Amino acid sequence: MNTRTSIEKIREKAAAMRRDSIEMGYVAGSHGAHFGPALSSIEIVASLYFGVMNHNPQDPCMRERDRFVMSKGHACLSYYAALVEAGYLSREQMYTFKGDNSILPGHPSCHVEFGLEVATGSLGNGFAIACGMAMAAKIKNETHNVYCVLGDGECDEGLIWEAAMNAVKNKLDNLIAIVDRNSFQLAGKTTEIMDLDLAKIWQAFGWEVVIVEDGNDVASLLDALQAMQQSGSGKPHLIIAQTVKGKGISFMENNLGWHAAPINREQYEQAQSDLELV
Amino acid sequence: MGNLTLEKLQDWSKQGHRTAFGEAMVLLGQDNSNVYVVTADTTPTARLTNFLKTFPDRLFDVGIAEQNLIDFSAGLAKEGLMPFAVTLAAFAPMRCAEQMRSAIGYMNLNAKVVGIEAGVRFGPLGNTHFAMDDLAVARALPNFTVLSPSDPHQIYKALFAAAELDGPVYIRLTGAPGFPILYPDDFEFKIGQAIEYRSGTDVAIIATGAVLAQAIGAADLLQEKGLSVRVIDMHTIKPLDKAILDSVFAENRLVVTVEEHSAIGGLGSAVAEYKAGFAQAPRQLMVNLGDRFQKVGSYEFQLQENGLTEPAIARLVEENLA
Repeated sequence: MNTRTSIEKIREKAAAMRRDSIEMGYVAGSHGAHFGPALSSIEIVASLYFGVMNHNPQDPCMRERDRFVMSKGHACLSYYAALVEAGYLSREQMYTFKGDNSILPGHPSCHVEFGLEVATGSLGNGFAIACGMAMAAKIKNETHNVYCVLGDGECDEGLIWEAAMNAVKNKLDNLIAIVDRNSFQLAGKTTEIMDLDLAKIWQAFGWEVVIVEDGNDVASLLDALQAMQQSGSGKPHLIIAQTVKGKGISFMENNLGWHAAPINREQYEQAQSDLELV
Repeated sequence: MGNLTLEKLQDWSKQGHRTAFGEAMVLLGQDNSNVYVVTADTTPTARLTNFLKTFPDRLFDVGIAEQNLIDFSAGLAKEGLMPFAVTLAAFAPMRCAEQMRSAIGYMNLNAKVVGIEAGVRFGPLGNTHFAMDDLAVARALPNFTVLSPSDPHQIYKALFAAAELDGPVYIRLTGAPGFPILYPDDFEFKIGQAIEYRSGTDVAIIATGAVLAQAIGAADLLQEKGLSVRVIDMHTIKPLDKAILDSVFAENRLVVTVEEHSAIGGLGSAVAEYKAGFAQAPRQLMVNLGDRFQKVGSYEFQLQENGLTEPAIARLVEENLA
């Protein structure tokens, strides 16, 4: 199913999304942007939008669409970039990022007509809302899935676990959550701030867990996503995608200073030249 | 009154606001198949056992987890269902105010939050179980409508009205077992439109929630002394009924707000905020729970300590009208 062509297509989309993310971050000027946590999640979001999810940019509110919730809302650059590449947002809209009266703030707001499904940014909430959305699909006998990207640091939130146990109780096997395991959070390495054995904990809560060793590799992600779609375990699904914070930009990779920062002209040009090499 | 009989109201009055709520939810559930209930280990506490029995597929208990109570409900609402999220007012909105803001309020979702046992009715249980701040928190959340019904009949009406309104609503419930029926006959309940319970020209007592009964009792005492007392049932705290306040400020000599809530952020504050824009307006006295943690004690003790009794309200008015 994952032909070399389809994987290649998603990789191209991911490359374009990285360029878009840098563009948006650059137009934000001194406001800066959360580059690191967006760049780590690019392949995850690209695999969902261009490889896995049933959706239609011509009909954003299509009832049977798969739902996407970017629970780690600060990583909105990868989300906005996917919506641009898919055709939900125009390039003009893209360049309003963080601008006056823009619909694209530094944490997503809710505009379903532009593919912006759920307002997120206050960590833990997106995931818990996604669980409620998956429940609603069950109640209404709708067959779409709910996909939710969350951060590894976000798993510090108590609300994540309130929602995780409730998802198991309600057998929300139409919910596929992906943890962008880039191993950093705002103030340091996750091992330093709050060292969690995520696979063990999620399993203990009753989730079906799969680890993707290279969460920036499209083929591996597609394999994991498709395995979860077909699992039939009756459990909610969790993919731990081990990624690289700041992936793709030489001076941002694994550099906590780029969790959120403004990018200057020189750095912007360096980033562009890094991306040309890909 | 539809399925609502006077007999039922009398039973609800005897049992207290929780029974009124739980049983009214059954009637609402029968009326509207899109109504769902979400609880946080509060199904029996909120007298929703009958709702669960009647609609086993329409009640979800998320466990003792108030943040998820709200976000799970938000997810249901996002997909077009109409959830009523129910727990003690001591915990919602305060413990999940952020979820009410970021999920329900910000996305303007059609979800309702119900706080039972608001105020200090849980007197002997201690301050962790009092809700003295729920109006202050809920009022500060954009897009939220805030209701505070006064008697069993109005609880029923408020729930149906909340279901008719497409948007976030917080419903604060008060009323101990034995709280009186103030509306025995059918009456019109419109969100944002206060009810002039009694007309009068000297003082206007504006009350919200079950302590409206004390305001009416105080008015009786004052009328015996020849004063003309207006009583207003401000069942909607937000949006505030500015039209009725305009007439109060123009026609009455003294305004007294009465509420089982902190001095900060509730009905008294809402009225005072609006009154601040008037160059000429009467004085306002506020009867409330002050700005302090309460002593432990029976509900009656709590009301006495805070001047929320008929004689205390009447005395306050007399002293200030002289």
